[in-house]
Amino acid sequence: MRGKYLLGILVILGALAYMIFGGLGQNLVYFLTPSEYLQAQDKYQNRPVRLGGLVKEGTVQYDKDRLELRFVLTDGVAEVPVLHKGTPPGMFKEGQGVVVEGRFREGVFQGGNLLVKHSETYQPPKEGWTPEEVRKLIEEAK
Amino acid sequence: MTPALLGNLGVSLALAFSLLGLALSLLAYLQGDGRFLKGARALVPLAVLGAVAAFIALEWALLTHDFSLAYVARNHSLQDPLWVTLVTPWAALEGSILLWGLLQTLYTLLASRKPLDPWRASLVLAVLFGIQVFFFGVMATIASPFATLPNPPADGTGPNPLLQNHWMMAVHPVLMYLGFVGLSVPYAYAVAAMATRSYQTWVEETRWWTLIAWGFLTSGKVAGMWWSYEVLGWGGYWAWDPVENASFIPWLLATAFLHTAYVQQTRGAFKTWNFAFVTLAFAATVLGTFLTRSGIIQSVHAFAEGPVGPAFLGFFLFATALGLGLLSRVSREVRDVALFHPFSREGALLLGAFFFSGWALVVVLGTFYPLLVEAFSGAKVSVGAPFFNQVSAPIGVGILLLMGVGPLLPWRRPRREILRNLYLLLSALLLGTLLALLRGYTLGASLAVGLFLYNTLAVGLLFAEGMRARRMAGLSPLSFMENRKRVGSLIVHFAVALMALGIAFSQTYRLEVEKTLYRGQAWEVAGVRMAFQGVRALDEGRRFAVEALLSTDRFGEVRPRLHFYPQMQSPLPAPRVIYTPGNDYYFLLMDFDREKGEWASLRLIVTPMVLWIWVAGGLMALGTLYILWPASRREETRGVSPA
Repeated sequence: MRGKYLLGILVILGALAYMIFGGLGQNLVYFLTPSEYLQAQDKYQNRPVRLGGLVKEGTVQYDKDRLELRFVLTDGVAEVPVLHKGTPPGMFKEGQGVVVEGRFREGVFQGGNLLVKHSETYQPPKEGWTPEEVRKLIEEAK
Repeated sequence: MTPALLGNLGVSLALAFSLLGLALSLLAYLQGDGRFLKGARALVPLAVLGAVAAFIALEWALLTHDFSLAYVARNHSLQDPLWVTLVTPWAALEGSILLWGLLQTLYTLLASRKPLDPWRASLVLAVLFGIQVFFFGVMATIASPFATLPNPPADGTGPNPLLQNHWMMAVHPVLMYLGFVGLSVPYAYAVAAMATRSYQTWVEETRWWTLIAWGFLTSGKVAGMWWSYEVLGWGGYWAWDPVENASFIPWLLATAFLHTAYVQQTRGAFKTWNFAFVTLAFAATVLGTFLTRSGIIQSVHAFAEGPVGPAFLGFFLFATALGLGLLSRVSREVRDVALFHPFSREGALLLGAFFFSGWALVVVLGTFYPLLVEAFSGAKVSVGAPFFNQVSAPIGVGILLLMGVGPLLPWRRPRREILRNLYLLLSALLLGTLLALLRGYTLGASLAVGLFLYNTLAVGLLFAEGMRARRMAGLSPLSFMENRKRVGSLIVHFAVALMALGIAFSQTYRLEVEKTLYRGQAWEVAGVRMAFQGVRALDEGRRFAVEALLSTDRFGEVRPRLHFYPQMQSPLPAPRVIYTPGNDYYFLLMDFDREKGEWASLRLIVTPMVLWIWVAGGLMALGTLYILWPASRREETRGVSPA
């Protein structure tokens, strides 16, 4: 009987070890605001992150022939330039909360996946918001 | 009489009869009195009536646009077509729980009609009534489908447009629930078996239930994948999304149980494992609902907001504790009669079950890990698809290897005669992999080709062996087809190998291109030549559609669309998918010139072999149906057949 339990525990431990060495840690994608990102750039160098913030007013440039969308993502304090390959999603506009998944290359955040954050209670942020408030706003919108 | 009145009455009656039935069946067990059991049995159809009444009430309210019900106001609109209205009961939480409760009462009705000794019959009924008490209790208190609004609106918002975009959404949830609920019967039998110390016969008595549940879970998953592919517009069918994982976990555990239960049916072994797997599989269905419905996925903090999450978590813990608690009590007494060599059919089946349950564990950890990180450090993380793919690939290879060799191995210990077959299989595996590598495919895709050949050969060898055994017994070789269990499982195994091939190729080779075309402009890409002829707008009542007209050389006119729903601020893409045996051509309209219709941004995704994933899904369902199909009388009297 003890053998069976031992086998069960071994299987579980084996699976756990496999998960950890299999790179659960490397495959974690962190959700960050631009401030958090800029404070610890080295930590997130060359790995995918999800960057959440607001589309800064007056920075949106979309080239429909090259299918390149450029804008600046801000959380009120820090700013990050973003390049997204592809069409802007349906509700993309200035001042909107967005989440971009991608990585930093040559000083520009190159996003593959661009999500517009929206919910019924979403309100455009006011002047002088702190990064924490921006983060909360984006996390709460679906 | 109003729908709300009828609905509340139905829910209350179903709850009351279930509570009474639970009390009577427990009394029957404790007192050993058959009269209580008779009473409990008589309550089963009454609970069904209550559930049916409640379900009819919800349909009634939807069909008569009774917006005084909060559920109708939130999930229905006057614009909805009839089929959408009819399937709206399972478009949101409260209605889904009602559907679950209704199916549970029907399954209880079917299960209660099977002859069984009075002790176990009382306990089986007690467990099933207990599950009903939970569901109808939730509906009567915290998630009522019949809650009313003080100020009903004149029209509602309608169900989530994503659910209206494809008819598959009408089918997928029902199949999933039929599967989830189906697992409750083997679970109830297992609890009764453990409590009454009759450890052997329950797997035999519930083998149809297990298969039916598995068949529904499998079809439900494939239907969900298809829906995701055809509706969500990202050109994929599986994203390791927590909601997908939540229904994958019960499927994995049910598959593990199906294989170890087979050993107990034929060899009397693995009794402890079967109790463990059936408990975990059933509990996983509740855990899946908890994951998807509590909002915990968005954030751990959402969990505390609604009462439904804690209720399901509590039910999950209780169901697990009941099954595993009884198991720890009786595991000292359970003796597996058969000793076996690891390189035998039992050995392969047990190892296979470990692979499936280990896979379930990995998916559970990957799904819950972000919640743990958020709870302990506050950081928001997500576990990406690369992690799941990385851990799943070797497990999948292990399963595919076992699937080929396992059924060829004899029971108890290996025999020399099978060596020839093993060499053949190994050659097929190596040959397939090498040839694919030489053709320039990646290692993963080549391995999938090798494994497909290996498994196809294994299925062929098993057919040949079965037919030879029939001929030796003086029967027609084709009468092997009457061995439904064997033939059906071989069909399913072949389908799994085919699906693995489709998944490997579609995940490895995928071309995605995007371009903005002006009217009249042609574009040649991925072997397709298309010309953009302009856009057209269509008013379809409940939605507004814009379609791009593309004339292509290979597929004629293709019209990918964007759907604008009034309740959604961004349009939903409606891709046009053209299936061919080799590649899928997935056309998407991304953006268009809103002023003059002069240009449109289009995306084309070309993915190989997706069609075969759906074919394999259909074959898996057919194989299961083949096993379940009632056997002819002649066959039944013959009893266990050779091979």
